[in-house]
Order: sequence, then C-alpha cells, then structure tokens
Amino acid sequence: MTGATPPRNTSAAAITVPRPADFDEFWADTLRLTEAIDPAPELPPRPDLSTPEVTVSELFYTSFQHVRVAAWYAAPAGPAPAGGYPVVLHIPGYVSEPAILKSWAERGYIAIDLAPRGKLRSNSAVNPGYPGLLTHNIVDRFTYGYRGFYADVVRSIDVIARLPEVDADRIGVWGSSQGGGLGIVAAALRPGLVRCVAAGAPYLCGIMAAIRLTHSYPYEEITEYLRAHPDDEPLVADTAGYYDGLNFADLVDAPALVYLGMEDDVCPPETGFAVYAALPEPKQLLTYERCAHNAGLRWVIPKVEAFLDGHLKPSGARA
Amino acid sequence: MSDGFRAYWARVDDELAEFPARPVLTRVPGRCTPNFTGYQVRLSGIGSYRLFGYLSVPTGPGPFPGLLEVPRHGSVNNAPHYNERLRYIVFTAMHRGQRLADSPFSASYPGLFTLGITDPANYIYRPIVADCLRAAEFLLGQPLLDPARAGVTGDDLALITAARRPGFAAIQVTGPLLHEAMRRRHGTTEYPWEELNDHLRHHPADEDALAATLALFEPARHAPAVAAPTQLAVPSSGPTWGDDLLGALGGRLQRYRRTDEDAVDTRALDAWLAGRLGVDPAARFIA
Repeated sequence: MTGATPPRNTSAAAITVPRPADFDEFWADTLRLTEAIDPAPELPPRPDLSTPEVTVSELFYTSFQHVRVAAWYAAPAGPAPAGGYPVVLHIPGYVSEPAILKSWAERGYIAIDLAPRGKLRSNSAVNPGYPGLLTHNIVDRFTYGYRGFYADVVRSIDVIARLPEVDADRIGVWGSSQGGGLGIVAAALRPGLVRCVAAGAPYLCGIMAAIRLTHSYPYEEITEYLRAHPDDEPLVADTAGYYDGLNFADLVDAPALVYLGMEDDVCPPETGFAVYAALPEPKQLLTYERCAHNAGLRWVIPKVEAFLDGHLKPSGARA
Repeated sequence: MSDGFRAYWARVDDELAEFPARPVLTRVPGRCTPNFTGYQVRLSGIGSYRLFGYLSVPTGPGPFPGLLEVPRHGSVNNAPHYNERLRYIVFTAMHRGQRLADSPFSASYPGLFTLGITDPANYIYRPIVADCLRAAEFLLGQPLLDPARAGVTGDDLALITAARRPGFAAIQVTGPLLHEAMRRRHGTTEYPWEELNDHLRHHPADEDALAATLALFEPARHAPAVAAPTQLAVPSSGPTWGDDLLGALGGRLQRYRRTDEDAVDTRALDAWLAGRLGVDPAARFIA
C-alpha cells in the first residue's frame, strides 16, 4: 500500500443525486405560481446600440414573485419573414453579464441573452450577489435563491414564444457553465417549446459531488458555507436535490449537444458525464483534452453553430 | 512621454494621495482554514469613494510573497482561488461600479467602457486606474509581505498599475482591454470594444476625442515605466500586442502564446508567476 490517490477516471465516476419524492410537484407549483402572474412583456428599442444590420432592443417581463427580469434582444434589421425568425436563447454564466449577440443576429437569428434575477438590470428587488447566489437560503428549497432564477429562465421561453417576430417552433437554448446547466433545466421544463439545447461545461449538475472535486468557484461557495455552518450539510444536500440538473435531464425532450473540458476545475467533468448519461437520445457529446472550463471554446463554437443551425435553420424555411 | 501625459497622471496620484485608504478588515470565517485567513476589505479611493477587495493571508510568521489581482472587465470578480490563498498574500480588488463597490455608482455593461470618454478628466477609467493604484498600495503595505516578491496579474490594467506603482517583481498581463482599443474596435461586434463603435455610429465627430482620451491609457505609453519582468499572454489568433508595447518593454518582456487549451494555458501562466515569486506551481484541476 502506497497510500497514493488513484488518478481520476472522469468518465467512469458514478455520480447519482437522490430525486426528492415531491420533485415534480415542487416545480409544478413553482411554475404554477409564476404562470399566475401577468408577464407584461415590453420590448423597447435601443437605437443607440443598433447597427444597419442588427436591431437591438431590451426585453423585460415579470416573473416569479413579481420580479421584473431583463434581457438583451438582437434581431436582423428589417421586417421579419413570414412565420418569424428562429431564436437562440443564451443563458449567461455565473459571473457573466448577458451580452448583446449581434453576430448571431447577423446570422439570421433573434438572439436573446437573459439577465435572470440578481444579474444587473434585474437586481433591484432581488440581489443575493456574487458570491452569494449559490448559497442564498440554500437550507430551504422554497426560498433558495435559484428558485426564482430557474423560474425566470423558464418564463423567458414562454414570453419569447409569444413575441410577434418569433417562430415559436424554432427556439433553441445555448449556454455554458450556468448557461449549460440552466439550458438543460429549460429544455426539461418546456419540452414543447425548446427544439434543441447546447450545453457546455454544465454547472449545477452533481452539485454535492462537485464540491468534493474542486476548490474553484462557484462551487467553493458551498464549501465555504459548510465550513462556517457544518451542521447544515443535510439541509444543503436536500435543497440541492431539487435544483440538480441530473434530476431534470431525463425530462429533456429535445436533441442535446454537451461539450466538456477534460480538465475543468470549475465544473468537474465527472458531473458533465453524469448529466450527459442521464439525457435521453438524441444527444451528442464532445470532449476536449487539456481544456478546462472553456471546454474547447475555440474548436466547439463552430460545432455549436452547426448544431443550432441544423435544428433551427436560421436563413431558410421551417423544416 | 509628453508633458500632458505626465501631468494627467501626476494629478491622479496627487488626488489619490488626498484620500487616505482607511482600510477596515473583516475576517470571513468561511474563508479561513488552518492554512490561511480570509478578509473582506473596505478602503477609500479617489473622489471619496469606498472600495472593496478580498484579502487572504497565509498562516505563519511570514514574510510571504504577494499577489495583486486587478479587477477584470465585468461586474463580478471571484474571490481569490484556494491555490493562491495557500501561496500568497493575495488581494483581489473591485473597482468602483463593480459588485461590492457599487455604491453610489453601479457600472453598466455595456456602458462602462465609454462612460465619459470624450473628456479625459471625466473618463471613468481615470478613477478606475486610481482604484487599482490604491489596491497596489494596500497590498504592498501588508506587514507580512516580502517586498521583493510581489506580483500583479490581470488585463492591461495590471501593466498600468505596475508602471505607476513600482514595487512589483513580476507583472503578468493576461489579455488586452485598453491597448489599441481604437484599432481593436474594427472588425468586431464584441463588447466592450463594440461600445466604441456604438458611440461613433451616432457621434462620428467624436473620433479624435476618443482617441485622445484612450491615448492617456495606452499601455504602450506606460510601459517604459515598468521595471520588472513582464509576461504578456499572446492570443492564439486575432489582434495581438502592438509593436510599440513590445518595444517599450524591451528586455523585460516575456511572451506566452496561448494554445486555447485553457488548462494548459492556466498552468503555464501560474508556473511563470510562481517561479518569479518563489513558490511552487499549482494546478487548479485536482488530478
């Protein structure tokens, strides 16, 4: 016996997350409470940010607990085609702010980047902060900071599908890290609207396993929380079960592309393999050796574009 | 270096000196282990503004090497990584407008990069650079710091900071922000440089004013004052560092060409700083 730690076998790790008995009921209630609220969407134009090729607007809507949520909306300039444009909904990473995705609009999409509650422009009423969101009220699933955040993402799809220039049959979701994990959640909770999902380095998957595999943020927030509140671990694990992407994955009813960095210190690849395994077919996995949380960004972006283009057909008619 | 350039920055130094830092450190139990102690720091900057940063100090009598992490472009900076806490007295600074330093001014994205840009006296990066200088003063004044082993890392704000606050033994510039911004704006719709395009689309007559303001912040003009070895991370593709900057750094320049395999790049950048500051390299991916 040498006592040496065996090397990580990232693709073979067995990560499971207990699914709470009332998981479906909890999310049905959350969405029911959200749907009882008038979304009151607004789409004010931003000519100061628009170009001859791209019209930029802000999108606002009301979500769970009456929180007003913002997004950036970039559309090809000029009148929309009959039937509307396809949509790429991008969900930002944990510390990122949503971008104005002009290059995607130039390719024929309405490109929307979301600022769920707590992000700038959506934080006047709810502002757990960064760091802070991951552990905000984490001992209680009903008041956990991510409850409204998840609801904001799901509600955005309902709102987008009803916008006048949108082809509601061609909505795809894309994101990396938090955007990857939340993309899977969105596809799971809106199976009739999300046509495809591209998820890079998905975060919020295998949450309690991840904190034992990394010292990087954001998961390190939970480690720090438990360092100060060690007796809370059972409560934290209980809440995490309601929010873990592994418990949403089998509800996804859309083609999925998952991509991982094999040396990702932020979202351990073990957790990415686990959520990929839980996704139904059709699905595709791309892995990048020697890559960390960027998950092969330079090489994978053309593949993400091809995946979304293949399902959403930005310049052509509906399939 | 022109008199105008010198006078502009001398005035910033003078103004900053009028505002004592008056730091208040608050221990954060969750960021304390037997190996280090973590603090939240509130301190004052130019213009009566209260700033924020994360400080972590290794356990022991010291002296310890130090590392300043200048703020990135964006609203959030993570607290320093566990690996850095183990090896350095590390200070991660927020500039005004960023989370935790956003009262009374909250930065917008987009919006920050061009805020006040038509007038050098009102350009937001004037106080932002001053915030970085205050952060450098705070780190370099830490009682357990080994003054011969302090480094600074971040985008080209790290270079400007080191140019104006000698005392760093290693400077690592992970990417451009202000460097040749008027050139970088061409051929991209990526923010923050697209902010320049948005501004000039509606105010084309402002081009000379924008160029004049940004010239005061051009890292190539600050580089002659940099005394320490400086590592520039060179992008694998697209616009790279200009010849003016490379020439100004002269023999202090060390280049690292990114591979875009970010685990490889992160390890290489970490190893360079660790070697300069006399600590062991550390990989973030736990093998």
